[in-house]
Amino acid sequence: MPNKTGLVFFPAFDWAISSTHPEREERLLYTKDQLFEEGIMDLPEIYEYKARLATFKDIARVHFCVPEIRAQVTEAHLIAAGGTLVLADALMNKEITNGFALVRPPGHHAMRVVHGNRGFCNINNESIMIEYLRKKYRIQKIAIVDTDVHHGDGTQDIYYHDPDVLFISFHQDGRTLYPGSGFPHELGGPRALGATINIPLPPGTTDGGIHYVLEELVLPILNEFQPDLIVNSAGQDNHYTDPLANMRFTAQGYARLNARLKPHLAVLEGGYAIESALPYVNAAIVLAMAELDYSCVREPDYREDKFKQSPEKMNYIKELVEHLKEIWKTRTLLAEQKEFYEGDFYEQKRSIYYDTDHIREQQWEQIRLCKTCAGYQMIKSRGMYPTGMTKTIFGISIPLRACSICQEEARNYYQEKINNPQGLDFIYLQDKPRDTYYRYSVENNSQVEIE
Amino acid sequence: MLIGIDVGGTYTDAVLLRRGEILEKIKIPTKSEDLQTSLLNALEPLLKAAGNEEINRIVLSTTLITNLIATGNIDPVALVLIPGPGLNPKGYQFNVPDTFILSGAIDYRGREIEPLKEKEIKECFEAVKARGVKRVAIVGKFSQRNKSHEEAVASYFKQHAPEIQTVMGYQVSGRLNFPRRVVTSLLTLATQDKFQEFYSQIQKLLVQRGITAPIYILKADGGTLPFQQAFLKPVETIFSGPAASTLGVLALTPIGQTSVVLDIGGTTTDLALILSGKPLLASRGAKINKHLTHVRAFATKSVALGGDSEIQVCENTLEIMPQRAGSAYCLGGPRPTATDAMRVAGMTTIGEEKRAFEAMNMLGKKLKLPAEQTARLVLRTMVQRLAKEINEMFLAWEEEPAYRIWELLQKQKIRPQNVVGIGGSAPAILPLLGKEMGCRALAPPYAEVANAIGAALAKVTLRLTFHFDTERNFYFIEETGVQEKLGTKRELSLADAEELAFTWLKQEGDKLGISPGEEPELVYSEMFNVVRGWSTTGRLYDICVQFPPGILENWLERREQNAE
Ligand SMILES: [Zn+2]
Ligand SMILES: [Zn+2]
Repeated sequence: MPNKTGLVFFPAFDWAISSTHPEREERLLYTKDQLFEEGIMDLPEIYEYKARLATFKDIARVHFCVPEIRAQVTEAHLIAAGGTLVLADALMNKEITNGFALVRPPGHHAMRVVHGNRGFCNINNESIMIEYLRKKYRIQKIAIVDTDVHHGDGTQDIYYHDPDVLFISFHQDGRTLYPGSGFPHELGGPRALGATINIPLPPGTTDGGIHYVLEELVLPILNEFQPDLIVNSAGQDNHYTDPLANMRFTAQGYARLNARLKPHLAVLEGGYAIESALPYVNAAIVLAMAELDYSCVREPDYREDKFKQSPEKMNYIKELVEHLKEIWKTRTLLAEQKEFYEGDFYEQKRSIYYDTDHIREQQWEQIRLCKTCAGYQMIKSRGMYPTGMTKTIFGISIPLRACSICQEEARNYYQEKINNPQGLDFIYLQDKPRDTYYRYSVENNSQVEIE
Repeated sequence: MLIGIDVGGTYTDAVLLRRGEILEKIKIPTKSEDLQTSLLNALEPLLKAAGNEEINRIVLSTTLITNLIATGNIDPVALVLIPGPGLNPKGYQFNVPDTFILSGAIDYRGREIEPLKEKEIKECFEAVKARGVKRVAIVGKFSQRNKSHEEAVASYFKQHAPEIQTVMGYQVSGRLNFPRRVVTSLLTLATQDKFQEFYSQIQKLLVQRGITAPIYILKADGGTLPFQQAFLKPVETIFSGPAASTLGVLALTPIGQTSVVLDIGGTTTDLALILSGKPLLASRGAKINKHLTHVRAFATKSVALGGDSEIQVCENTLEIMPQRAGSAYCLGGPRPTATDAMRVAGMTTIGEEKRAFEAMNMLGKKLKLPAEQTARLVLRTMVQRLAKEINEMFLAWEEEPAYRIWELLQKQKIRPQNVVGIGGSAPAILPLLGKEMGCRALAPPYAEVANAIGAALAKVTLRLTFHFDTERNFYFIEETGVQEKLGTKRELSLADAEELAFTWLKQEGDKLGISPGEEPELVYSEMFNVVRGWSTTGRLYDICVQFPPGILENWLERREQNAE
């Protein structure tokens, strides 16, 4: 039976971060030309859907937006996120076998707490889609493979303590590229160790290198994890012509990657070689997902012999893969060895920088170390804005499958914070088991349920 | 005076209009094997009625192209493709035995990214000659943005075999979508000669009769073109029937309203939409003979349901069968039909009442219902089915993809004010449908010749879609194939570009005889900055201007009063 591949194409031709920013109106223009001239939307395997607006509740399922959602999103963000939900519904209703949300603006650098725009992202499209799928369709195990050249630090942050969501990111080594994270030792929180896998690749990695990682590491791990759903966080900036990164991936490489990975849902992320890469890469990915012949999709200057992986880099990649395989194999043991198992809470502190909006954020994070569930999460976050202003929030997130004790404890904690809000501007409760989301303003002494 | 003739699949309608009134109307069965005779037979009484008064124009709508394609009576065409990178061209299914694929490629900005190979052109030419094919369609991807490859191949053919006719993709349609451009080019070349032959013959016969009024041909998008212009793209005149009926309804119903047009025939009902007084065009080109094309057409939907539809009882429920078993039982047919139900319900006086009751009793026995109730049930089933199809049509329109924020936000949920019926069963079905859908049911007078009225009143239309690329110093027009350098106009602003577009529109409009009084309209206008390395190096403008489809307003005094 032929594949039924759903497409949501939302190029947002009337939206830009600013007129010369990489994330501008022109970004998917030539992709549109190529896809339309190919007649891709006419293919019997392709089902094109209209995007819709995500609701604030869809966003609140993932984010604590400061001071509120309205301040962080434009209509374009709602439509990009909503586009992924359209495909999620189509997939679950069995109208399609897989789907690609070709939407902008992107999302994978947006973390749980949102003070502003990071790496061109405000809200995390994939995570909004995944939380929607889990809530509405009770999907339990999901694997995200982030194929953008940048580390998907936002998605990692959102799922760092979630053992049910496997997050695998391969990217150009953080020592050479934004956002500077995504190293092999970032493995997930104490209750989700090994559910985060980072594969930092050397600049100049080609199809050969990436396919090696895919075949030798990513696919075997997926095979073992047995997810109900695979999501490709599909950035196209690994391309050899991308102006913001230094990799050597091709349209053929991207097509093969998707043909082998077989994601149920792919969501466009970065990719800024808007002429030399995107028209070809997008056409190739669509054809690969639809299981059509993509062998003739080639960049004008593509020559096969130009993309041989040097033996030194290949050896480096092979060693890295071996190292990560070992970590994956011993992840349970590693978790037991870690001393942070002691005590009721696991704590961490960190600071986060928002490159686009020049915001500095300080975070104190606590995870309840529960014996029966993944434990609830509490985040205190202070954003320091370029204006000199600061906003401090406290957010509590209850996982969908939290045990009743954790649920109750977390809800009580939220009330306690409201009664005792010293030093805070806003208090949030993300109550996923009840699918209710609250934001409390200390200044106005009022609580809003986000709908 | 105006003459409109619609030679449809079953009937030929014709009207003669004098300002504000219908002087003569004709409805005769069509002889599908002889369209010319059908057309002339319908025309004859009109000419008689016209007497010595001047006929300003004659607009024709026929199933000529449909028939030619359906019967395979079209000319063989060889296909030369210059596909470049993308889908594997071996996978295309254009069903053309003589297909040749050449190297060479143009990209989305009109840049050559791979040159043609002279040797391949020569080999292809020799193969075409050897096969004895007299027509060649040459179509390249993105040729609308750079025609040089198509022209190089065409001129090779012209130089070495001037007798071979060629058509180039960029001449046929500049809309994005290469496979559709291929199909449309093939159909254009395959029908051109037969189209010319047919209408030249008509024109000759008219001239012999002393009629010198210009002949216009109705197109699928509701516009008309002088016959000599229509010859360039005859395939655009396919599906003019639904366009004619929609325009006819537009002429016969209140101005500016939202209506569903139902043409209820024997076994099918054709649906079309008029949104706030404007007929809705399909966002993508029409499907012809299972192939998708670039032919612009009204958004129509065909539902397998009509007066002759056979009604059956399957597992205690009534079902409207898609096929026709014969005429209605009350007219001596073999099986119960919708028409029998209407007869029993007292909505028509067609056929024998006794037989109609018999038909309903056949169904009623299985349902344990008396004939009258069965008839009502039949009608309700039909009406509910139609209402569902209509709602789905509106829904499909709402769900059309949008690529801009404003587009996505602006589409409101619209439901019709009127259901307007033409066709034999319309008067019976319409009131019930109106009640079901909560809107007004209109069965306008002269509905039986609505198609001919639509044809007679159809405006000459023209749409020009421009793409300017100031960085690459060129612009092109999708519909006409014009590709020009901007030269001294290279720094033009969006407003300058719009002005240029309107100048073109007026100039081309003049050639088609569009009266200077017609208001041109800006369909859309959009600008993209071309940014390279954080600075703007050029601009892309996409501008579409048109004289929209519609009806000649000053022939319409009767419209308001007809509505009630
Ligand atoms: Zn990226
Ligand atoms: Zn617990």
